[in-house]
Amino acid sequence: MKNKGFTAINIGGLALGLAATLLITFYVIDELSYDRYNENANRIFRVDEDLKLGDNKVQYAVAMPPLAQTLIKDFPDVENVARIKKATIIVKKGNENLTENNAIFADPSLFDVFTLPLINGDKTTALNEPNTVVVSQSAAIKYFNRLNVVGQSLTLPGQSALKITGVIRDIPEQSHFKADFIMAMAGWADSRADEWLRSDYNTYVLMRKGADHKNLEAKFPELIRHYSGSQILKAVGMNYDQFEKSGSYFRMSLMPLTDIHLHSSKTGELSANGTVQYIYIFSAIAIFILIIACVNFMNLSTARSSNRAREVGVRKVLGSTRKFLIGQFLTESVLVTFIAAIIAFCAAITVLPVFNDIAAKNMTINGPMLLWILPMLLISVLVIGCLAGIYPAFFLSAFNPVDVLKGKLANGFKGGKLRSALVVFQFAISIFLIVGTLVIYQQLKYIQNRDVGYNRDQVLVIHDAFALGNQTKTFKQEVKQLSGINDVTISGFLPTTENRGTSIFSKDVTKDPKKSIFPQTWRVDEDYIQTLGMKLVAGRNFSSRMGTDSSALIINETAAKFLGFNNAVGKTLYRNEGDDIAQKPYTIIGVVKDFNFESMRENISPVVMTLDYDNGNLGIRLKSANLPALMDQIKSKWKAIAPSKQFVYSFMNADFEATYRAEQRMGQISIIFTSLAIIIACLGLFGLSAYAAEQRTKEIGIRKVLGASITTILKMLSLDFIKLVFIALLISTPFAWYFMHKWLQGFAYRADISWWIFGLSGMAAILIAFATISFQSFKAATANLVKSLRSE
Amino acid sequence: MLSLKNISKYYKNGGAQVNILNNISLDVDAGEFVSIMGPSGSGKSTLLNIIGMLDEPSDGYHYFMNEPVHQLKEKQRSALYKRNIGFVFQAYHLIDELNVYENIETPLLYHDVKGSERKALVADMLDRFQIVGKKDLFPSQLSGGQQQLVGIARALIVKPKLLLADEPTGNLNSKQGEEIMELFRKLNKEEGMTIIQVTHSEKNAAYGTRIINLLDGAIASSQQI
Repeated sequence: MKNKGFTAINIGGLALGLAATLLITFYVIDELSYDRYNENANRIFRVDEDLKLGDNKVQYAVAMPPLAQTLIKDFPDVENVARIKKATIIVKKGNENLTENNAIFADPSLFDVFTLPLINGDKTTALNEPNTVVVSQSAAIKYFNRLNVVGQSLTLPGQSALKITGVIRDIPEQSHFKADFIMAMAGWADSRADEWLRSDYNTYVLMRKGADHKNLEAKFPELIRHYSGSQILKAVGMNYDQFEKSGSYFRMSLMPLTDIHLHSSKTGELSANGTVQYIYIFSAIAIFILIIACVNFMNLSTARSSNRAREVGVRKVLGSTRKFLIGQFLTESVLVTFIAAIIAFCAAITVLPVFNDIAAKNMTINGPMLLWILPMLLISVLVIGCLAGIYPAFFLSAFNPVDVLKGKLANGFKGGKLRSALVVFQFAISIFLIVGTLVIYQQLKYIQNRDVGYNRDQVLVIHDAFALGNQTKTFKQEVKQLSGINDVTISGFLPTTENRGTSIFSKDVTKDPKKSIFPQTWRVDEDYIQTLGMKLVAGRNFSSRMGTDSSALIINETAAKFLGFNNAVGKTLYRNEGDDIAQKPYTIIGVVKDFNFESMRENISPVVMTLDYDNGNLGIRLKSANLPALMDQIKSKWKAIAPSKQFVYSFMNADFEATYRAEQRMGQISIIFTSLAIIIACLGLFGLSAYAAEQRTKEIGIRKVLGASITTILKMLSLDFIKLVFIALLISTPFAWYFMHKWLQGFAYRADISWWIFGLSGMAAILIAFATISFQSFKAATANLVKSLRSE
Repeated sequence: MLSLKNISKYYKNGGAQVNILNNISLDVDAGEFVSIMGPSGSGKSTLLNIIGMLDEPSDGYHYFMNEPVHQLKEKQRSALYKRNIGFVFQAYHLIDELNVYENIETPLLYHDVKGSERKALVADMLDRFQIVGKKDLFPSQLSGGQQQLVGIARALIVKPKLLLADEPTGNLNSKQGEEIMELFRKLNKEEGMTIIQVTHSEKNAAYGTRIINLLDGAIASSQQI
């Protein structure tokens, strides 16, 4: 009867551990499989750029427009090159106009570089003509409700219709870019621009079989010197050598396709990528959980050994060899692991949808996956079973049958130093995980509560306001008239939206990179600062009444710092306007307090604002309590001006949260698996405390006869374990501090790890441990004395 | 000192009631050395456990040092025996993980005796039983007789008024057994310690001042020596 309980704890703990490990394995495999659907994945590289100008450094995932042609023409190692340019299109469906964000312009070679099979159409000609488009299966269904749509057209309001020349199978989830509309690059005039300083196109190189991409990379500096050199001369007034000597650089490199998802977070990514750090963290958690589960198994097996010692003795007397006994114990162990694995597998599949929700994944178990998961699982069962069983097996089989049958050994295992060490180990890991989770949550809270330099509450963002055309200002005025509205600003550049732009500003006309910055350059209107609740630390805001403000600038504190201005107001900056090299002077009229417009992993970079018109978005500061009514009013104003355009909006605080969704998910997932780890560790502790209490029944009886109260006994039993947990706390603290400190280093803006986190984690672990063992201890402390002391 | 009135102990086994003690009445005065004898299963140990308050009777009245034990709550009862009763067991029941010194010291911990005083008391006890040299040994390193000496020392260290011994010599050879019995007689004569022992041996019983014979849970005879 007792054994049943132990076996249940053993199998349950192991199953829980295996299930958690399986889920994490699914996750990790999914993350690692990004872009591997491409048959030539190993030969595909993206051309990235590194630019340093003065103090500004930028890493680009995009390259210059003419680079692709040059690579094909001049480099025999290159088999093919395809460019992708991200786009947003508005497509008419019935009476409605839908905004489609998953659209790209691409070279016809896209289908040669990437493995994107067409289910309709001819891939060799599909993207040759301007205004042709290859759509995805889902897009075809969405707009035509069927797959065979080649020859049909998509209507784009105000633009030429797109002729559909092909339908591709949906691009797999595990792709670093998603596209439902692949438009012919021929229809994008800019793609033919002969500009070697501008980075706009995600450029993918397919290397020839056997060619080494390092050789190609080695030729890049010469290529840049040759093509970009003259344009650098024009832009910053110095030749390439001088440019490099001044400490600036312009470099290109190749990023392997399969590294993009986990290792790339540069300017101009096609979509937000994952982080390899999370892969490491989750793998570590999985291994931890598995270890904890295995340790349970070992602990409980050896703890029970005194009960089984008699069995061993009898078997030995009956002629069983040691080898046979080891085999018997190992078989038992593997069998238990096998049962646990079956339960774990079923459990993992059952909770996979929930896990998908939390992890924002779309993982499924399919036939081909089973083909390798099941054998892997079987091998794991053998390995874990043997690992977990090997110590008990050798330990038990070594018993001397005479001693055992005399009952001599039965008391010999009480010390159990190894067992104590293993419990310490388990709890050290658990405490480590608790600390980690707390630090992650503290950082998330810090991010949410940090003063980001603008007020994101109660700000409505209307997207794609360019749909209003030249009536945007009218719309702004009308919305401003509504009661419940504080301020309205028109600008495509909001702290929480994606739209960004840079240009070069110099302190003088010499264009010396040392006197230049390379700031975010945002076109805003005069209501921008107050609508977003930003603060001016010096100077004044733009004013429409000042005619000269078209050549005025407001810069942020960082820009002022980069420029070395103590008092920036009144200073002049020169800007390169477009292609011509005329230097237009601007006067700084104000300095705005630094605000975060990128993830807090990044430092705030320089921002320069100009008074200009960019109707990408509208930002509306609301004060009304009756939000739905107000939203209806704003929407009807929109419909009055642009009846056929989609009204797309979001709230700035929600957009802000979205930036940290990865961290939040990470936090949630760690909480779940940390809890699992703790539960498993507690299962083991529960078993051990039950065993210890059972082992000490007689001792407890004696102590009670000698006058010990129940409380004293409880204290004694609990203290033994609490001591172990305390040691675990001491051991795990430095490790937890070190690793979480490292994790926090990834944030430019971070909370400190406070001592209370360790205090709290320790307290939590001790409380949990105490709760787990108190049941058994209480049972032992109140057991019948006469029974406990009866001599055998 | 001790008065049992109509004490019975029975338990239900299936439908049948099994009687272990049947209507026992017994008075023990301070300074007596009582030996309880009787065949196996006659209820000797149960009677001793009830006297020692380790077990509760099913029926009857139990007075110890003028306190109605049968009316006391668990906590009061344990306080009462903790202060006044010492136990010696056939199987010694020493704590294996503790050495001789610590074993003897243990009851003092539960009596909230201060550290310095504990030291003095244990030293006295080691001295008195001439086991100073063995204070650092563990029970498994001692002979049975030595273990029982430690057991008695442990029982006496809290200066109980009543010493209960359940076949204290049962696991010992005759020479060791005689030594223990001599010790009991000395304790009784010289220090006036009240002792109740359960024994199988006529010879050991003869060390006492009164012999009670139990048969089938009832007192068959009681004779002063």
